[in-house]
Amino acid sequence: MLEIVDLTKRFGEVVALDGASFTVAPGRIVGFLGPNGAGKTTTMRAIFGLVRPDRGSVRWKGEPVGPTQRARFGYMPEERGLYPKMKVGEQLTYLAELSGLADPAANQAAAGWLDRLGLADRAGAHLQELSHGNQQRVQLAAALVHDPELAVLDEPFSGLDPLGVHSLAELLTQTAAMGTAVLFSSHQLDLVEDVCQDVVIIDHGRIVLAGAVEDLKAASSNRSLEITVDGEPWVPSLADAITDKQDGRIRVLVGPSVDLDEVLAGARRAGEVTSFRFEPPSLTDLFLEAVSEGRGA
Amino acid sequence: MIGGTGRMSGGTRRIWLVARREWNQRVRTTAFRVSTILSVAVVVALIMVPEMYGGGANPIRTIGLVGASSPQLPEVLTAAGDRLELTVKTREFGDGDAARIALRDDEVTVILIDQRELVWKAEADEQLGTTITSAIGFLERQAAIDELGLTAAEADRLLQPPELASSSLDPATEEETARADLGRVGVVLLFLMIAFYGGFVLVGVVEEKSSRVVEVLLSRVRPAELLAGKVLGIGLVGLAQFAIVVGAALAALSVSDNTVIPETASGTLGWVVFWFVLGFAFYSVLYAAAGALVSRQEETQSLVFPMTAVQLVAYVLAFAASESPGSAAAVLGSLFPPTAPMVMIVRIAHGGVPLWQIAAAVAIMGVTVAVLVRLAARIYAGGVLRFGARVPLREAWRGAEV
Repeated sequence: MLEIVDLTKRFGEVVALDGASFTVAPGRIVGFLGPNGAGKTTTMRAIFGLVRPDRGSVRWKGEPVGPTQRARFGYMPEERGLYPKMKVGEQLTYLAELSGLADPAANQAAAGWLDRLGLADRAGAHLQELSHGNQQRVQLAAALVHDPELAVLDEPFSGLDPLGVHSLAELLTQTAAMGTAVLFSSHQLDLVEDVCQDVVIIDHGRIVLAGAVEDLKAASSNRSLEITVDGEPWVPSLADAITDKQDGRIRVLVGPSVDLDEVLAGARRAGEVTSFRFEPPSLTDLFLEAVSEGRGA
Repeated sequence: MIGGTGRMSGGTRRIWLVARREWNQRVRTTAFRVSTILSVAVVVALIMVPEMYGGGANPIRTIGLVGASSPQLPEVLTAAGDRLELTVKTREFGDGDAARIALRDDEVTVILIDQRELVWKAEADEQLGTTITSAIGFLERQAAIDELGLTAAEADRLLQPPELASSSLDPATEEETARADLGRVGVVLLFLMIAFYGGFVLVGVVEEKSSRVVEVLLSRVRPAELLAGKVLGIGLVGLAQFAIVVGAALAALSVSDNTVIPETASGTLGWVVFWFVLGFAFYSVLYAAAGALVSRQEETQSLVFPMTAVQLVAYVLAFAASESPGSAAAVLGSLFPPTAPMVMIVRIAHGGVPLWQIAAAVAIMGVTVAVLVRLAARIYAGGVLRFGARVPLREAWRGAEV
């Protein structure tokens, strides 16, 4: 279990982290969400000792995190990069060795990951000879090559096409299934909705919401209502809660007391209702709700 | 490939792994091969070229004789040459044209026409000119003596050159000259190697920053470990190349017949290696710290210049010290860390450096390097994760996170 306790960090006048606390459990995929500049990267760097917090601590299995613990962590920084002129296989072996694997094991781990990513035949190629997509894969393998107990991935989905998102999500699911604690950050909430089991939402250096996605959705008193009407432009009576509006499709966040019959009747008067969805709030809804509450709006 | 990491643990193991990567990646490169060949060529040339310019102990000089000359002339020329330690031979030509062709083809050093005129290919060889003049003077005095009908005793008084006793206040033996040469070779080697491998460290640091791999590394390795491993690995590559170049230098010294290899040669070269280690440590950590401040290779130029300038000063000072190794400037230069490696090599090669001065220089250098490593590691740690614009030194110093 990774514990982030009361992490606080200032860069001059800027408060990057303001008493952030949360946990990441083994075998769970935790989405670390928040707008750009919310403090995600600073938190991740603090886990690896790349940023020294002004206050607070990072603990792993109850112990303060030091070089011994970090050898069991894997990190994919937001700024991607490996040695462009080093052979892919050697590069992964080297990183595995730096993480503490002995010689033959490091070699096998590197080969195993290349095999798994369909790059076994490129082991002898220089990184720069690979396509952009394949370089991304090698980057991911660099973070996971030593089978870490904790994987920390900063914006792993950014720049991926839908197919890439899908295969990365699958890989993270497999990784977590083997007992690895996975923490990844994203500012694209719709993209990661289905990937994470837990979320930690950060805004202005403060954690505004944390927990299992299912629990948070169930606990939210709000529901998401989406209606598509083919006809006259139509606005329901709960106009102030509209979160999205496109052509005839309207999404609103409604309270528990909403009278669905009345809304549906109103929609029918405007035209033919082609879809009507009433469901727990989406991650985006939860996020917007949490952030606006956190900012005191 | 350097071998495995055995049972090392923690930081030492990581430093070694970083060093091993540097070694493996660098010895394979064309740059390494080309620079090794170039260094060998430069050093061998430095040893061999002075000889080609006539600095040799006893190259053979052939004098082409044209026209009327005394039958005794060849014998007298050879004898006159012997007194100046020149090997002089003669060759007779039927006509001036044949002699001129031989002169152009370097078959003869000079042409002597009718015992009255000297023709050189380009520049006159003063020493040989004097030899010829004295030989002809001898023959003419001989002829005058015969004409005057002097007694043998009277003739001897005229012909025998006076015996002058000769001594020097500060005699420079061949051994000493050779030692000074050795010192200069050492300085050139040190200068090239430190500038070259220091540059490697700088480029290597910037490369890791510009490719952004540094953050991946620093999640596994501490900045000071990465710095130490890089300097160690590149330093070992430098030492290996050094060994090759020094081997070539020794071989060149042994085939060149103008230089006596001093008995102190191997000792001096040992010191060169020793001071390379200290000098490289001194400069390379500075290079590494400088590299951490920039994000792109193009920005390194402005950082390299001041450090190269300091090394050039050390280089010039070392050559000055080779003329007067005991002077105050030389002694101070050999104690002052930036100039110590090159100046001390010159002084050690010359010999007679008091032991306490060597000990003091090593101690000062050691302490300086130890302090510098810490300062540089802090600047490195503060700058290496900041991408984009050049990081001001003060901010890197304050921003050190790890």
